[in-house]
Amino acid sequence: MTVLGLSCYYHDASAAIIRDGIVVAAVQEERFDRERYSPVFPIQAVNFCLQQAGITIYDIDEVAFYEKMYLKFERTILAHVIGYPFTFNNFVETMPLWLKDRLAVSFAVREELSFKKPVLYVKHHLSHAASAFLVSPFERAAILTVDGVGEYACATWGVGNGTDIQIKKEQHYPHSLGLLYSIVTAFLGFHVFTGEGKVMALAEFGEPDHLDHFKKIIDLKDDGSFRLDTRYFSFNRGAKMHNEKFEELFGAPRGPGEPMTDRHHNIAASLQRMTEEIVLRMARHVHKATGERYLCLAGGVSLNVTANSRIRSEGQFEDLYIQPAAGDAGAALGAAAYVYHTVGGNPRVQPMTTCALGPEFSNHSVEVLLRNRRAKFQKLDRAALVAETARRIAANQVVGWFKGRSEFGPRALGNRSILANPADPTMRDRLNLAIKKREGFRPFGASVLLEHVSDYFEFEGDSPYMLLVANIRPDKLGSIPAVTHVNNTSRIQTLTSERDGVYYELVREFYAQTGLPMILNTSFNRDEPIVNTPAEALKCFDESGIDCLVINDYVVDKATR
Amino acid sequence: MSQDLPFIATGGQRTTHIEVGSGFGGRICSACVLPEIKPHIQLDADGVCNICQDYRRQERTPLFLESDFIKILDKKRGKHRYDCLVMCSGGKDSTAALYFMKTRYKCNPLAFTFDHGFEQNDAIDNVRKAVDKLGVDFVFFKTNYMKDMFKQLIRSKSKAVICHPCSIWYMDLAYKMAKRFDAPFIIAGWTKGQSKKQEVMSSCGCNVHQPEYRAMALETQKFLDEELNGLPQYKDFPRTMETMLKRAKKEHNATVLSPHWFLPYGPEEYVQIIKENLGWDYTAQSYPKKSTNCMLNFISAHNSMRDYGYTHYHVEASKLVREGVLSREEALKNLRMDFDDSMLGGILGKLDLDVGNIR
Repeated sequence: MTVLGLSCYYHDASAAIIRDGIVVAAVQEERFDRERYSPVFPIQAVNFCLQQAGITIYDIDEVAFYEKMYLKFERTILAHVIGYPFTFNNFVETMPLWLKDRLAVSFAVREELSFKKPVLYVKHHLSHAASAFLVSPFERAAILTVDGVGEYACATWGVGNGTDIQIKKEQHYPHSLGLLYSIVTAFLGFHVFTGEGKVMALAEFGEPDHLDHFKKIIDLKDDGSFRLDTRYFSFNRGAKMHNEKFEELFGAPRGPGEPMTDRHHNIAASLQRMTEEIVLRMARHVHKATGERYLCLAGGVSLNVTANSRIRSEGQFEDLYIQPAAGDAGAALGAAAYVYHTVGGNPRVQPMTTCALGPEFSNHSVEVLLRNRRAKFQKLDRAALVAETARRIAANQVVGWFKGRSEFGPRALGNRSILANPADPTMRDRLNLAIKKREGFRPFGASVLLEHVSDYFEFEGDSPYMLLVANIRPDKLGSIPAVTHVNNTSRIQTLTSERDGVYYELVREFYAQTGLPMILNTSFNRDEPIVNTPAEALKCFDESGIDCLVINDYVVDKATR
Repeated sequence: MSQDLPFIATGGQRTTHIEVGSGFGGRICSACVLPEIKPHIQLDADGVCNICQDYRRQERTPLFLESDFIKILDKKRGKHRYDCLVMCSGGKDSTAALYFMKTRYKCNPLAFTFDHGFEQNDAIDNVRKAVDKLGVDFVFFKTNYMKDMFKQLIRSKSKAVICHPCSIWYMDLAYKMAKRFDAPFIIAGWTKGQSKKQEVMSSCGCNVHQPEYRAMALETQKFLDEELNGLPQYKDFPRTMETMLKRAKKEHNATVLSPHWFLPYGPEEYVQIIKENLGWDYTAQSYPKKSTNCMLNFISAHNSMRDYGYTHYHVEASKLVREGVLSREEALKNLRMDFDDSMLGGILGKLDLDVGNIR
């Protein structure tokens, strides 16, 4: 059986295909149309997924959509009616989107993809739950999903058993942790979607002295459920979702480009602590209510690495599985997996052991590009390529690393990455300011050999998708400044030979050359979606301060460009 | 059913070697393989031609997705005797097109091959193997109809490109066959470098108005207007591709498409597929290298180089270079012209001509 999963029309539009128990392809539309978090119908992503699977739409048995649009529409209409007349302008602005796109999913699938059967709609949080549990290695597990909002639900928990998922409880709109995080992100002068990670990083620079204010607007229960005091918010009234009353409590919002002050740091810190507290209470409750040994996480809030790490370190659950595409991109995969099991009655899909599910490019196409762009290059065999790249990183060069299939989800994990020496004390500023063109406070993650992770971090076990942070061991502080955040933590990705192949070999070689079992890893982009094609990689390389580009088996040196 | 190749002569004493652009200043675009031929092709200070410059100025090249192709096919699928007519020359591109139409797009195609007397036997063999393996209906049409026109074109020293009137003829034939056998689509094996994809929905996309073709197209039209008067069999022969299309559309509103415009696969991928699945192979010789064109094509290419300093294959290869399918070096290598004179003589002998007629 072959199922195509889709998500779109809000953000992170994506497509995924499950064929005979294997996740064969999954990718976000933004990688093709080059619009960050692109919301459009993922036509290019679908075309790629089909071609990657070696099939056409005629071979698709079912199309699964990640949301029940009419249910969501019902909630939206009700919210606008309740908020009338203040919601009127927003209603007029958003209705065309509903009528043109969101309520016309079946039409788009039929017209754009020529798929004749009815589309199967899976509830938003059920899609998230499926994306976490059904592709996890666990036969049974508790499931927790937390995000902005789906139809009504903003968070759910339940239990997965075999191919069955039971959602036990939902928390409904507008009482949403994801929305709250986005509201404060906007309040702090950042863009929603791109700014949440910045707020998380910023939080470590402040003190949580606004925690009381957050407690005032959030009625938090022991089980992690909560109610927002809606008097502080203005939902469905336009882009700004906080109101004057909120500003009375937190002060004036930060305008774009305004300087960042301690107050902003402290608000970010307070929000982050509140988020962790909520998620921890939810996880504790889910553990108590289900008695399960394992926990699966998905939904946009599961990209909050600090919160994830606190769940892990509390130790109620023996292990976690966090869907690497935890946001709505992963929901396309979840919807496909859910339909694959419920409609198809198939056995469990194989666990998702990699997120390298996107496009890859042949050596021939890379060489054609390099020759036609008159790039001087060396073609090296695997061992020589690894040795040469490690040598350059050890010499404090910044390397653009483009190998194999692109990663599904927001993280670059060694296939579309910028790599650098974590021991270089100037590297963080160089990368942030000169190469990535972003705020200087933002930290970088480390890709570390699994067998050496405990040498440098207070961490044992696996973190394959860089969705966890770890404290740097006190005796190693100062040794890896480029990946050390202000609170002496680092986001880590653990590498194994079996899973990470040539990327593992590169870090192992770097270890052999320098004695450091890790490399700084950040996504291969500059204020744009992660590069998808060799041409985009070459363009990013040419326009940035990256010293050396490795594409497939080819090495291009900036000095020769 | 391979037969001896009738045109290959061995032991030729002379070789005709012509470099691209020779006789025309010899400057070649540093980004593609087109020579500078003013006024239509001009190089800037960096040696980049105006066509490459225009391409670079494009914000984004137009997108042609496979889903669009399927959308077009599905509108007429199952409503006609055949879903499409596939023009098969036995080359890699058209054989792959037939393979994709049958297996990938699950169509009921009619394969159609013509031979104007200069097709290679092993190319025809490729078609026969493909239609047998795929189990598709097949029409093979052999004719001497075009021979007199070819002969007149060469003998008159016209600068018309032999392939141009030929393509007007075979497209006319394809429309007639599509009408005769009730096929709503004519499928060609055109690559991303051939024809104008922008017109995919409306016509076969004749490209005579592109600057690279303008001089050639004018000469072709001149030849057709002026040199066919003594040949009554061509009284109704269309004088331009546009005329042919206009006439054909009145008779049968077929849409001309190529799956290669919509697929991300390059020739290196689909050659592998048809070799494995259809037993396809390259012909012993062809111009450019790695193609499977008819033998008269050697004369056509030779004369184009003589008259313009490049061929329509240089135009196609240049597009492929721009689109990243082919490296410039590879293109130049494939387009290198090194023809055995006795082979050229053998081809011309079929028209009662000799190499003196093309000097």
